[in-house]
This record gives sequence, C-alpha cells and structure tokens, in this order.
Amino acid sequence: MPPVIDKEKCTGCGICVDICGQDVFFGSKDGELPVISYPEECWHCAACVIDCPTQAVRLRIPLPMMMLYK
Amino acid sequence: MKEEMVEADVLCIGGGVAGLMGAIRASELGAKVVVAEKGNTLRSGSGATGNDHFMCYIPEVQEKELDRILRSRYLSWRIRSRDFLNLWLEKSGEMAKLWDSWGIPMKYNGQYEFSGHAIPGEPLVLIHYAGQDQKIILTKKALSKGVKILNRVAGFELLRDGSIVGALGIDTREDRLIIFRAKSIILGTGIAQRLYPGPTPGWLFNLAFAPTCTGDGQSLAFRIGAELIGAERVHRHRGPKYFARCGQATWLGVYKDADSNPIGPWPTKIDRRYSPILTELAPEVIEEYAKSGKGPVYLDSAGISDEDYEYMKHWLRNEGNAGILNYMDEEGIDTRKRPIEAMRYGPIGGGTIRINVKSETSVNGLYAAGDNGYGIGEMPGAATHGWIAGESAANYAKETESPSMKRVEGTIEEKKRLLQEIQTREAGASWQEVNIAIQQLMADYAGYAGGVGAGSVRSQIMLMTGLTYLRRLKEKAYNTMVARNQHELMHCLEALNLLDLGELVFTATNERKETRGPFIRSDYPFTDPALNNKELILKKEDDKVVTRWEEIRR
Repeated sequence: MPPVIDKEKCTGCGICVDICGQDVFFGSKDGELPVISYPEECWHCAACVIDCPTQAVRLRIPLPMMMLYK
Repeated sequence: MKEEMVEADVLCIGGGVAGLMGAIRASELGAKVVVAEKGNTLRSGSGATGNDHFMCYIPEVQEKELDRILRSRYLSWRIRSRDFLNLWLEKSGEMAKLWDSWGIPMKYNGQYEFSGHAIPGEPLVLIHYAGQDQKIILTKKALSKGVKILNRVAGFELLRDGSIVGALGIDTREDRLIIFRAKSIILGTGIAQRLYPGPTPGWLFNLAFAPTCTGDGQSLAFRIGAELIGAERVHRHRGPKYFARCGQATWLGVYKDADSNPIGPWPTKIDRRYSPILTELAPEVIEEYAKSGKGPVYLDSAGISDEDYEYMKHWLRNEGNAGILNYMDEEGIDTRKRPIEAMRYGPIGGGTIRINVKSETSVNGLYAAGDNGYGIGEMPGAATHGWIAGESAANYAKETESPSMKRVEGTIEEKKRLLQEIQTREAGASWQEVNIAIQQLMADYAGYAGGVGAGSVRSQIMLMTGLTYLRRLKEKAYNTMVARNQHELMHCLEALNLLDLGELVFTATNERKETRGPFIRSDYPFTDPALNNKELILKKEDDKVVTRWEEIRR
C-alpha cells in the first residue's frame, strides 16, 4: 500500500516524514528508514514522491482505487 | 499530558492557503502571529501538491468583457452575493499578481492563460496557474515575515469570554496540550469531508479534497456561538471513477457513452480553452445513464493533438494530480486510447462559517477564510479572504488588550478531562467506528440526490429519525472513544467535530422545506418562491440550534 520506499535509495533524510499531510509515517525515527504506520490514510497527493531528493518513494495505488477504462 | 502556553495577537488555525495568507498579512502589519497546522504547512490542506485554476478579474486584460463577466454562470455559482462580487473584482487580480511576484507562476508562456470551466460563448473567468509548489512558497514567505509555524498541532476548541481569548490544541505526535492565549483567531481549516461516505465504502481517505479537512473550523466556531450558513447544501465532486481527485475542469476530452457517442453538447470536440464540463453542468447525467440502463460515462481524449495532451498533463500535475499521472504512466493508461470511466463522488457538506467582506464572523475576534468561510469560493477566496482576515485580525489585535483566561479555566479543565478519558480508557470505540457510523447515518437519513435506496430519500421523518440516532451516537462517542496515541486522538477529536456538523446538516436540511436544483426533499417536491435569494443561518443558543432565513443581495 502507498507509499513504497526503495531501501537502497532512501537516505533516511526524513523529508517525507516531515511533510506528509496525513502523517502516514507517524512513529518514524530521525535518520532511519521511514515506517508506514497508516497506509490506509494516504491521500495519494504524491508530496512524498515529489519532494524525495533521491526519488526513493513511489505510490502503490490500492486496488479499490484501480482506474477503470474501456 | 504536558502543557504549554503559547501567546499570539493572531492565531491561525489551519495552515493551508487561507491561513498562510492571513498569517503573512497580519505579520506584515506588525502582529505577533502563530499558525497551528495539523500536518505541515509545506504540503498541507487541499492545495498540498497544487491547484491549477484561479478565478480572477484582471482589468487590463478583461475590462472590455466586464459586462459579460458580471453575468457569468460560474461567478454566480462561486460568489455568494454582490458585496463579495465587488470584493472579487477589486482584489482577485491583485492577489494573482502578488502570488506571481512571490514565485507562484500565474502566467503561462508569459501571458495570463484564461481557460476552463466554460462552454464556448461564455466568458472565461479563470486563469491556469502552476500551483504545484504554492504551499512551499507561501510557507517560506510566512517564515520570512516572522510568522511562527507550529506543525503537527491540531486546534480542537476555541475559548471565548464574550470575545475570543484563545484556543486549545494538541500535538499530533507527542503527548502535549497547547493552550493558546490569543487576541484573535483566523480559522482556515478547509472543507468538511468524511461526514458522508466517499466512493469506496470503509476507505475513509479516498476523497477529492484533503481528507484531513473534516470541518474542524466550522464545528469549533459553531460550538462557541458563531453563525454558520448553507449546512443543508451538499456538493458532489466528479472525476475518475474510484480514484477521487479534484481536477474535473483540467481533463481534456469529450464525455461519451459506451458506444463512443458524445453525451450532451458540452463540448463534442476538444478545445483546450473549454473543459469538458458536462459533469459540471449536468452532473446527474452520470448516475442517470447508469440507472436508465445506458451504461457508464467515459472521458475520452481521442483525437486530441499531442501538444494538447501534454498541455493537459502539465496542468493536471499542477492541480495536485501527480499521483494519478504517475499511476497512469505505470499502468499504460492513455485517455486517447483508453477512455476512463467518470463518477460523482460522495457528498461534502456541513455548512460554512458566515463571514462578511472583512472576513469577520459573528463573534468578536474570530475570522474565517478559505473553504470554511464562504464569500468568494475556491482558491481566490482562500487568497483574498485569508489576506483580508489577516488585516482585520491584526487591526483588531492592535486595539485589544491581552485577554484574561480566568473565565475559561473551567472549559479548559473540562476539555483536559475529555482528552484524558479518550487516552486512558482500556477498551472502547475507535475513531474509525465512530466515523463510519456517522457516515452511514448521514447517507441513509440525510441522503442526497442521486443516492440509491434509502439514501435518496430526504423527508422530515427520515431527517428527524436520523438526528435522534446521531445524537445517541454522539453520546456513545463521547463516553466510549479510545485513542492509543496522539494520531488517533486527533482523529477522535475530528470525529467529535463531525458529529456536531451532522446535527447541523439534519437540522438545516429539515428547515429547507422545498426542492431547489440539486437540493431535493421527497416530502416537499416544489420550489418555494418565498425562499428565493435567501440563505439559512444556523447558530447555537442555550445548547440548541436556532435557524433563521436572511436575504442575499445579488
């Protein structure tokens, strides 16, 4: 569930933890790989994706939100 | 729980666009300003990762069109009355230029790009702007003016002794209560969501606007006796099915049926200046098509030029839809080849705080701006009312002594007890239980046009039955809610706010004994001409909701 963090790329800078409007990273510790405590509270605004300095974050869109097309 | 006292001339509750604009202006005028924001002002609120339309009047570009603009359909929807229209004419262009000077790109290729929310023949009253980083820019501007920003602080109660004296907030990460002593308060907490179900049952955060916006300001203001309006009206946004986001006027394409025939005349071919606004002009079509057996409605970009497709993606990204665009890229969804199904999302409602052109509420020292205080709607409303609220609050604070908290000590103690009970109960209801229970009562007893089953019926007996159930739920929520940490405590307080707004919606919906446009009453199918140009005002008096109708000057 969103967001998904690439452990190889993440430097633990904490920007995503700092900025998330919904605080899905609640409980993360400084300098460590962020924990995703409340994935179901993600708004998919992509702030963490946009602001990650090492492009380590992507969103995995949950299946109930799968876009429907012809 | 640790306690901390914070002093301010002007306290902004909510650090979205409106709150930050108020903070910047009040600080410029010499006030000591504090912003309390549940998230982080860099990326919080419904404008977190952007917006792309700004409704404004720029005289040097549009003066020749003024007569037409004044008759604009879009303005009549988004601006409450004549005095707010005059304010918009005077200020909205100035706000756009101010933002441009601060680094929020309000022009496209060096020009104001008027586009969207209109059909050919109608005046264009919105400019496209690149708002992806608007919150970062506004935050930096506020800090440069000396504003103190307290991120991860949720304001949950206002303190009033005749006039405003302060507020209470909780830290959403650490066990800490913040007692604000403030001469004035600007509420900028956004739209009221999570009162009704969203498109995915039980998935509480799949919403078009920021799910943190739960009508806190409306509820806080109401509890201390401020007047609210429009609690009987609900708004239902439209967009891609099940992936709830704003941006319906940014997509370029034609709405078509399952056989690829255009639906309705708005428009039948793609023009980048005119959005496909079938879903704005006749949103009920989507559900009526399905109900009548005609099948789904699709947004189809077939035939669009490559430049226009890139143009659309550019603005969708700036509208805060990077999440959707990245997903479409990953999944190979291209609306030129794969038309996407559209839907109407669940209702948003709960009323807004009644303000005047100075952003003043009916309580001395209390101001509101943005989606929680309606005069001018949308982004220019957040910018203009925020800015003016900052001026009004700073000027008020200059004339006001530092308030005494003596007579609100009882309220503070009572609220501390409430927090402690929620934090220390061994077992009980989670915030999700309460929130979902609210949503099912609202949907089934204060339903909405286009709903199915019981949800589409709104009548006095259903409304009053629902209100009784909701009040019972409220009592249970107060007596049984449990939070395991500060994050959950924040959500518990949001749920309690939603319960207040739910009561307002039931009361207001019952009071409007007519059917008018999208407002449908099963027991009053006709429009009551006596209510033309009137708005319903609600207020708490002696623990009861009182209502009255007032004339709107058009």
